[in-house]
Amino acid sequence: MIPLLVALPLLFAFLLVLVDILVRSRRYKARLTPALYLLGSLLPWSVLLASCRDMPLDEMVGGWTRAGGIEVALDGYSFYFILGTVILFSAVSLYTIGRFRAGKEYSVILLMEAGVLGAFISRDLFNYYIYMEIASVSAFVLTALSDEKGAKKAAFRYLIFSLTASYLFIFALGIIYLKTGYLNLELVRQNAVPSKEISTAVGIAFSALLLKAGIFPLHFWLPDAHSKASTPASALLSGVVVKVSVYGMILLLYALPVTAALRRALLIVAFASIFAGIVGALSQRNAKRLLAYSTVSQLGYILLGISSGSIYGAIYYSFAHMLFKGGLFLGIGSLADAQGTKNLDELSYRGSRGATATVVLLSLALTGTAPFVGAYGKKLILAHLTGIGSFLFYTAALGTMAYAVKLNYHLAAPGRRGSIRTAVPLTLAALTLAFGLYLNPVLNPMDWLLLILALGMFLTLRKTLSGLKPFSFRPAEEFGREINMHMTIFFLFVLGMMLIQRLQ
Amino acid sequence: MIEAELAGIIIMLIGFYGLMSKRNLIKIVLSINIVSIGLVLFFVGMGYREGASAPIMPREIVADPLPAALMLTTLVVDVAITALALTIILRMRREAA
Repeated sequence: MIPLLVALPLLFAFLLVLVDILVRSRRYKARLTPALYLLGSLLPWSVLLASCRDMPLDEMVGGWTRAGGIEVALDGYSFYFILGTVILFSAVSLYTIGRFRAGKEYSVILLMEAGVLGAFISRDLFNYYIYMEIASVSAFVLTALSDEKGAKKAAFRYLIFSLTASYLFIFALGIIYLKTGYLNLELVRQNAVPSKEISTAVGIAFSALLLKAGIFPLHFWLPDAHSKASTPASALLSGVVVKVSVYGMILLLYALPVTAALRRALLIVAFASIFAGIVGALSQRNAKRLLAYSTVSQLGYILLGISSGSIYGAIYYSFAHMLFKGGLFLGIGSLADAQGTKNLDELSYRGSRGATATVVLLSLALTGTAPFVGAYGKKLILAHLTGIGSFLFYTAALGTMAYAVKLNYHLAAPGRRGSIRTAVPLTLAALTLAFGLYLNPVLNPMDWLLLILALGMFLTLRKTLSGLKPFSFRPAEEFGREINMHMTIFFLFVLGMMLIQRLQ
Repeated sequence: MIEAELAGIIIMLIGFYGLMSKRNLIKIVLSINIVSIGLVLFFVGMGYREGASAPIMPREIVADPLPAALMLTTLVVDVAITALALTIILRMRREAA
């Protein structure tokens, strides 16, 4: 039953390509394409609803033994990832209907859905890699399909780094297979004994997934790729694709012994990512780049959950981030498409009540304010932090609120006008509130206090902030040279993660 | 004689050297391919056993078939991504011109 979750979008992606090539009549094509697309992206709901009552579910595909087959599961670890994915893909599919020219773009989105769902259900490390790769390849294609200037370059950079990280990840899997004799998660867990080789493999695998998740020192590909892709594509890239790597980290943490030194290093990287993302977001003038830097910062929070041992905090926060960041990219993206600019000084949501409600609600969700969905994950993560950790956590919350205020401050000012459809992002905004009330129906006065503090801070520092240059790190002018430099940073990071575990 | 696993790792390192030092975008794609070839050699070497035969008609000692099967999948991914990377380079040149 569970594999159908993947098989359905995959089948309809294939049918879409067939229709695109074989059906000559333009009229039939125009009717068939949206119908197949909607079926492909909405049918996983039926599988999810039919099987969620019997959770936790565990299945060997094809009925093989555990040692010889591929295991898939739908349980506490994967359910919220899958729910968020299916919600966001349904939203995006309703949003994109009629917007693309060719059937191929629709089919790439369905392929991405199949890849992401396949990665989220798998309990086999190699199977996870294969589906992650399907999702990544679709992400490269969607980025490259955008018409914006520089999108091809962004796609190339994304492809090269993501691919290098994948090879390092498989290399690490090879070492794990060599030492334990299995790739099945449960069997690896039973057979893994702490050793030098295993800790090296874990270090390499974590570095590779950190790059694919766009965590701070390895985030260089993310702002361009996420801001230059088309509106629905950036919602999917930022909402779903980076979460696949998060799920991978959770699998690694479950199956393999992770040394205390590595956990500490990940904690430091998480805080660095949170603050670097905040600084990046505060200095941007381009609305979508601001959201992209915000993703770097928010993934820092998720990594914080993983490294501090609050796995469920990380899972709930990932789910929250899927909903609100997907919604924000759809809402602000459609605003930018309608008004023909991404510049915060010119963009404005004044003309449209729907857009105002969407962006304000989703910004509140982004800050993790209490009745919204992000609050529950943050609460779980905060419970695992002590001393300086919780102090930094509150400082980070203040910074997050500051850039959310900045976004709304600029958008509330009068600017261009243009009619937009906001039904889909507004629904996502309502869902962030609904799930927030379902998971954690309390009000936290601390959040609102911090929000007022952030508002005051932003208004006093407004002048200084607007004088800030958009923060971006370009080590070299030439594109090839820039890739070399970033590659060097990546390999040094991998080496660091391997060697840090020798220091005890 | 050098072991296949070690040779694979050395070839991967050569690929990494290319990624860190070559400016030409096509050479960067080729460097990635070198990394992948090293990886395939590493895996196939992992399944090798002294004096073993192919696991088709099982005899006493057979080589481990799983790494080879995994690499078959990885090779498919390689081909697809290399084609995509080269296409994007072509499009980038068209955009620049």
